[in-house]
Amino acid sequence: MRKILLSILSVISVFYANAQNFSAETIPQALKNRATAIIRQSETTVDMRSTDNVMLTVKKAITILNKNGDDHASLALFYDKNTSIKGVKGEIYDEFGKLTSKFSLSNFKDESAVSNFSLYEDSRVKYYSPAVNIYPYTIVYTYEIRNKQNLVIPEWRPISSYDIAAEKSTYQFICNPKDELRIHSANYNRTPEEVLTDKQKVLKWSVENVAAIKQEDYSPNAAVFLTSIKVAPKDFVYYNLKGSYSNWDELGKITYDNLLKNRQDLPAPTKDFIRELVSKEKTDRDKAQKIYKYMQQKTRYISVQLGIGGLQPSFASDVDKLGYGDCKGLVNYMQSLLDAVNIESYYCVVEAGNNKKDLISSFASMEQGNHIILCLPLKGDTTWLECTDQEIPFGYLGSFTSNRLVLACTKDGGKLLKTPKYNAENSLQERKASFVLSKEGNLKGNVTTTFKGEQYENHTYLLNKSQNDRENALRKIYDVNNINFDEIAFKKDEDQIIFTEDLKINVGHYAPVNNGKLFLNPNLLNVKKSIPFIRNRVLPLYISSGYTDVDHISYTLDQDIVPEFQPKSVHIKNEFGSYTLEVKKEDNKLIYYRILSIKEGMYKAADYAKFQEFISEVVQNDNLKLILSLKG
Amino acid sequence: MYKILIIACVFFSFGAYAQDFSYGDIEDSEQSFSKSTLDSNANAIYLNEYGTSRFIFDSQTGNMKLVHDYHARIKIFNKDGAKSADIVVPLYRYGTGNDQQEYISNLTASTFNYANGSYNESVLNKNNIFRENKNKYVTLVKFTLPNIKDNSIIEYKYTIESPYLFNYRTWEFQTDIPKLKSTYIAYIPSNYNYNVTLRGFYKLSDSKAEISRECLRVSGVDMDCSKLTYTMNYIPAFIEEEYMTSAANYKSAIYFELAEVFYLNGSRKKYTSTWKDVEMQLVDDKNFGGHLKRKDVFKDIVPNITKDASTELEKAKAIFDYIKKQIKWNNIYSKYGDESIKSVLESRSGNSAEINLSLIAALSAANIDVEAVILSTRDNGMVSKINPVISEFNYVIAKANIDGESYLLDATEPLIQFGLLPLRCVNDQGRVINLKKPSYWIDLKANKKSTSVHFFNGKLGKDGKITGKLTSSSNGYDALSTRKNIKKYSSLDEYVEKLEEKLSGIKIKDFSIKNIDSIDLLMEEEYQLEFTVQNMQNADQSYFSPFFINPIKKNPFKLKERNYPVDLGAQYEERTTINLELPENYKVKETPKEIAVSLPNNGGRYLLQTTVNDGSMMISQVFTLNKPIYSAEEYFALKEFYNRIIQAQKTEILLTKAK
Repeated sequence: MRKILLSILSVISVFYANAQNFSAETIPQALKNRATAIIRQSETTVDMRSTDNVMLTVKKAITILNKNGDDHASLALFYDKNTSIKGVKGEIYDEFGKLTSKFSLSNFKDESAVSNFSLYEDSRVKYYSPAVNIYPYTIVYTYEIRNKQNLVIPEWRPISSYDIAAEKSTYQFICNPKDELRIHSANYNRTPEEVLTDKQKVLKWSVENVAAIKQEDYSPNAAVFLTSIKVAPKDFVYYNLKGSYSNWDELGKITYDNLLKNRQDLPAPTKDFIRELVSKEKTDRDKAQKIYKYMQQKTRYISVQLGIGGLQPSFASDVDKLGYGDCKGLVNYMQSLLDAVNIESYYCVVEAGNNKKDLISSFASMEQGNHIILCLPLKGDTTWLECTDQEIPFGYLGSFTSNRLVLACTKDGGKLLKTPKYNAENSLQERKASFVLSKEGNLKGNVTTTFKGEQYENHTYLLNKSQNDRENALRKIYDVNNINFDEIAFKKDEDQIIFTEDLKINVGHYAPVNNGKLFLNPNLLNVKKSIPFIRNRVLPLYISSGYTDVDHISYTLDQDIVPEFQPKSVHIKNEFGSYTLEVKKEDNKLIYYRILSIKEGMYKAADYAKFQEFISEVVQNDNLKLILSLKG
Repeated sequence: MYKILIIACVFFSFGAYAQDFSYGDIEDSEQSFSKSTLDSNANAIYLNEYGTSRFIFDSQTGNMKLVHDYHARIKIFNKDGAKSADIVVPLYRYGTGNDQQEYISNLTASTFNYANGSYNESVLNKNNIFRENKNKYVTLVKFTLPNIKDNSIIEYKYTIESPYLFNYRTWEFQTDIPKLKSTYIAYIPSNYNYNVTLRGFYKLSDSKAEISRECLRVSGVDMDCSKLTYTMNYIPAFIEEEYMTSAANYKSAIYFELAEVFYLNGSRKKYTSTWKDVEMQLVDDKNFGGHLKRKDVFKDIVPNITKDASTELEKAKAIFDYIKKQIKWNNIYSKYGDESIKSVLESRSGNSAEINLSLIAALSAANIDVEAVILSTRDNGMVSKINPVISEFNYVIAKANIDGESYLLDATEPLIQFGLLPLRCVNDQGRVINLKKPSYWIDLKANKKSTSVHFFNGKLGKDGKITGKLTSSSNGYDALSTRKNIKKYSSLDEYVEKLEEKLSGIKIKDFSIKNIDSIDLLMEEEYQLEFTVQNMQNADQSYFSPFFINPIKKNPFKLKERNYPVDLGAQYEERTTINLELPENYKVKETPKEIAVSLPNNGGRYLLQTTVNDGSMMISQVFTLNKPIYSAEEYFALKEFYNRIIQAQKTEILLTKAK
């Protein structure tokens, strides 16, 4: 399990509102469609007065249409040493636009903002959620936040989540005409308005009548389809850090020089120990592997986010002493250990998560990325290390960080690199099982499953679990009523990166008996879950990871069961993948064979219907029931 | 009536002398300790835990303070157990003053790793202790131990000073990892009188009461204390299971509540000690009794609300509906109304007490016999029955007595029927508080079964398609949850669209939903459905499953052993009837076996019947659970009951083509 690095600043998408009529009746009907809330009016202004004084002003009016929209009415303002809340006030209006109550900062609850994966962070949050139970209602508020830095400028997203529509939303960025800026706009197809005077440059973006987006299965990362504007000034200040950058190369260099370089010293005994540890190893790869193993055994993941806004790793010597660190600390420690035996490696910033997201190659900015991994160039044999997991094999990245652009921060500057990709063929789950079926419908047998590629990690989390926890977890994975696990064994082959699961199972009354017949679903362990039929699919269809599952099961039938049944053979192949199903008789045994292969890829929204049909067909075939007669 | 909670008075015997274990002095038996002697599934265990609490007199403020010393030694067996090395100590603040908060001192922590015959101690550095100001009331002192390896032993101790004496200091014997030994010593000055209760399923291994001479010095006077020693050995981990109410109801722990104090000047102050005292306290409290008495607020409104009601019951219903509509619940649980009834009526929003105390005042304005019932909600835990512990109650409802019947009323849920309590209030017993009469206990039960009836009338085509109309009606909690769910959406269309997505494969062609707001009537839904069961073309015979409406596919009871009762909250009944016209020229050859399964002691039953007529067939099922709470012993009967039903619902109908 890997954990995410604290994002530098909580990016709150922010908007603006004027005194106006907040009656819910004036909302255009088209916008209400499928929305739980409507942003009536919203204006966000970022005024970069100097590099260490950036004022964010947000004015916003949102009408909440029903209970499902309540979340859109709550307001969470994060603050820390570098970010202060200057003022908040707000009002609540009823359905007819009549003012019902007012609120200010004193109505906010104040709490520490320590994420659940962290032991400590020095960020706090003030939050407010109105207690209104009569719908629709409108919340109108304005707040001001002062940032003592301009490295991270709040990103603008007119709509930042599902089920909310916007009538009107604008964004202004104000700076000195001499300031150099880089701007990244996504899904915004006009050029911003620009007003230039001697003292100020004002850039303005705006949208109107943006319909709500419904959450849909198999859709890509929201960054792909949401409108957003990011601004990155060339000259920046961040805590005690000052500098300028305009591309990934420079940003990588800044990171290396200011945040990493002086944090890598190790105590001499540790260096000696490491040198001694690998003295018998011949290749750099073998040495690195040995050191990695040592690092995994010595350390554990503990997140403490202090200092430069959660960007700087703790000293390698501290990790050495304490035996724990967060992703930055552990990667920096591993890098320092490798350095002791002169093996080069790169500290890499990645946007981790199962929903894959690249760093934007054309737009360097510090807030991209939320996790750190290590890259070893090893003379062409590039190897990647996840340093926060004590069980993960050397050189393995799972779905959390695979197949995306990352930033390597090196002494020669930043470089964008791509992490390895697994495809449908090498992300393989292969299962062999043999069962004995009694005439009462009881099932007993052995199951061996191997997991490779991105599927390697499917069950690895069970490795360190107690017997009870393993059984309970497997009972959820193999969701068969009455299933019992007589033996459970796991094996991992770290060189080949193969995980093997050996089970002895029995299932009482698996196949029901009725009228002298047995009803058997031969696909005991791998029934595909159906996906919803969606009437008007809007978002593109995205399959983030390809995979192949092979199930090969043989059933030895009790002698009182007549080994007669309808053989079955199904083959489906299309652009999304393929499915094969075979049921046949072999030496008085029933043989079940299934292959499902799904390809990774991005498809048009219209293709979802076909994909849904394909999956439905798979589900139907997976639920195949064979009817077997009993003798006598 | 089955009692979930075991609250025992603690009796004392004379046992062995208990003393704190010495820091860092790890015994050989602890080093070699194998977890299999206690719990082979444990990732970490407490080898020893020792705590004492005593009073000291702060001569500066003139107040008494509670000093608590805590000491624990834990063995970490593996990486999964390492999270037991992440320690969080909460410190509470009861006000803004310096003397109104808790302080921690003497915090020491170390990791001991055994290597080459001796222990390496890694001491926690003070820089690695964090204070997280969680909110106004709580500061968390957090740290993690350094150098955790498999089989590390960690040890830590600290002292907490607290100004809060009322609940003394609770001692939790049971936590999420097992404990080999846990000892708690409470020194209680002889002029302080506490009610002490032990909760949970496990017994004390030992307990002892002694006199501790001159344990406390107040203004130059030495005082004696009772020294109470509680020991529990071999304590299993507490694992939360499904269908449980608050974990606090089940965990083994010792609780204290101050009953009275005798002061040196001879005066005495009584804290909660008898129900009579509690009644007086509540009735005199302006935020409780004060509200109850405000029937004058409703004097002018009530005649208008009840003008169409002829009977007392109709009047009560009208008032209940009025309060539900007039005041919206702000989702806050309380037994006290902070705002006056007047301002609550103006703002049209209030906490549970403000709403229900208003309801009581309004009902009494209509001369209806009404009382208040204080209770503890399901997530707040069970209340103590031996001593009144007022802090355990967190909610208040109304009890209207009309024509010899009593109705428990909670007006916080706009969609709830008259006389039905929200499930959160269905928690053992509540205490009825009457302005004039002594208080008494009352069972908090769901007075209505949760019921639903499904009727499907349709036909099976030759193409394997079933088309037909499903009519469902529900009552009680089933109706409540359907209504609440529908109300989350802006329109019925959106609700049905979501429903269709969830049903996957079943298309809803048309629908009509009735009585969403007429909550005293059955909740009624009608759906025109279409779905494919089996392609029957070219087949002489064909199987299909008639269990397409709410089948039970998974057994909710999967555990190998169950230690705690199964608390479902309410009785349940579901009836499903399917009437199916068959395609022409097809005959039913086989049907699912008719079965009747029952739970012991009339706990529930399942009936499945099929009737075959010419060209059509009918399958009917009845499923009932007759108890809101099943004991741990009944768990396996429940598990088997569900297994049998799942079994039955796996069988299919065989149709054959007439030749």
